[in-house]
Amino acid sequence: MPAAVKENIFSTLVIEMRNDLELDAIIEDYLLGKLNPQETEALEQLRRNDPAVDHKVVSHKFFLESMEMFAAQIRLKEQLNSIHAEINLEGLASSLRPHPSRVVQLWRKQKSAIAVAASFLVLSLVSVYSIQHNTKQKEQLVLLSNQVNKAIKTQNSLIRKINNTTTTAGKPVIQNSFGGTGFAISTNGYILTNLHVINGADSLYVQNNKGESFKVKSIYTDPQNDIAILKINDKNFSHLSSIPYTIKKNTSSIGEIVYTLGYPKDDAVLGEGYVSSKNGFVGDTTQYQVSIPVNPGNSGGPLLDANGNLVGIISGKPDQTEGAAFAIKSKYILEAMRAIPQDSLGTNRLSSNKKSLLSGLKRTKQIEKLQDYVFMIKVYN
Amino acid sequence: MNNSLKGSVPTDREVILGILNNSADTLNKLYKAYFAMVLQFILNNNGDEDDAKDVYQEAIIILYNKIKEGNFELSSKLKTYIYSVCRRIWLKKLSQRSKKTGNITDYEDVFAVEEDVEQHEEKDLQFVKMQSALDHLGEPCKTIIQDFYIHSLSMQDICEKFGYTNTDNAKTQKYKCLQRLKKIFFQP
Repeated sequence: MPAAVKENIFSTLVIEMRNDLELDAIIEDYLLGKLNPQETEALEQLRRNDPAVDHKVVSHKFFLESMEMFAAQIRLKEQLNSIHAEINLEGLASSLRPHPSRVVQLWRKQKSAIAVAASFLVLSLVSVYSIQHNTKQKEQLVLLSNQVNKAIKTQNSLIRKINNTTTTAGKPVIQNSFGGTGFAISTNGYILTNLHVINGADSLYVQNNKGESFKVKSIYTDPQNDIAILKINDKNFSHLSSIPYTIKKNTSSIGEIVYTLGYPKDDAVLGEGYVSSKNGFVGDTTQYQVSIPVNPGNSGGPLLDANGNLVGIISGKPDQTEGAAFAIKSKYILEAMRAIPQDSLGTNRLSSNKKSLLSGLKRTKQIEKLQDYVFMIKVYN
Repeated sequence: MNNSLKGSVPTDREVILGILNNSADTLNKLYKAYFAMVLQFILNNNGDEDDAKDVYQEAIIILYNKIKEGNFELSSKLKTYIYSVCRRIWLKKLSQRSKKTGNITDYEDVFAVEEDVEQHEEKDLQFVKMQSALDHLGEPCKTIIQDFYIHSLSMQDICEKFGYTNTDNAKTQKYKCLQRLKKIFFQP
């Protein structure tokens, strides 16, 4: 723009200020720094004197700034578009688009999930394997502890549990009864058995080998040695002939042949074996360990040696060792007998001084004589 | 194509320095480096190629402006940043289109970029205003203004392009257009 023309416009503006258009042009040149110092000075003078002009300058400045930012954005976009045009969109898109095949799509989408699942699977397999491994070790440990420490085992008392189901008047009455074995210690009806057989009993009966039942009552109990003495209290009971067996004074040695007669079922059952250890359950010195197959119901049964001497009372068996049983040593029988009034036992009682009537007899004969003195204990509660 | 794209991924440092130095080459490399990632994300989340282009370019612009402003801290990989921005923008667009956004399939790590995206949206409102003002202007005003302000053509060029007899005429025309544009632009 020739200076003269500009000058001309200026003076026109200054005087008339009508031509907005040209004022705009001058303001823009001013803002872009295209005016010479003289013109700048003139416009600034004008701004100071006329608020309308000042406003125009400010708003145009704001507009130009907006426009510049907008322009920059548009230019950047155009640049990006031209870059974008270089990309082979079709090829790229078709390889990345959701695959028509669901399997591939699933694989792509769930890649990480599948990876997690797979590692979880591997982990579980490893843990299952190691758990199995551990279990094996534990089993070995249990076996080992078995060998080392029998204390863990529980002593199974050899009580027979019988479920007597009697149906009376359509109403089933379930009567729980337990069974054990006992043997006579006197001819007038004193019977010795295990305390645990009769513990918690409401009523007690004994039954002989002929099937006769007699009501008994507990006379003496010795919880420490697990011994109970019962007395037949029944008028139908006739006195027994003299007790065929005697109490053995000495302790038995390991390997001594012993046998027992008991009522693990409703008929007397003979069990034969040998003394396998001088001590019983967990080294209990009051007992022997014997190797006799016993069953629930054998508890309280007499343990006799080959000569018909009373060695002990069968009282229990270890939980996990098959074929072994425990028997209370015979000297505790004597102790128990001393605890009850001596007169009541009568003269014909079990003693350690007499000679056994069973001595020298064949086993079958021994049993024949013995069986009248061995009773089934019936416990109702 | 894929291979050549992957082969020319610039380092994050290169990108930042390049953008600060207005390097067209860097912008080119940056753009091509991560487009496939975003395209895959959009295509697998209810979008098409055009959506991918829009979203990606917006993200690049956000990154570009952030770098230019000089307050871009490289707290994560550029790749993660771009992916997060794209994801944010696309989720917004999907919810605007009231499409399901419940089950977004992700391909990269994501971190919070809400602030950047919102700042950008505010700025974008101004640009939308300017664009619509230009659109209302009609021809030849729109082109004259665009040529002068955006493409930085001289008045001489514009004069020749539009066949004005002299530059003063062209100038007068330009200022007439400008006056109208400003009127529309400053309309509340």
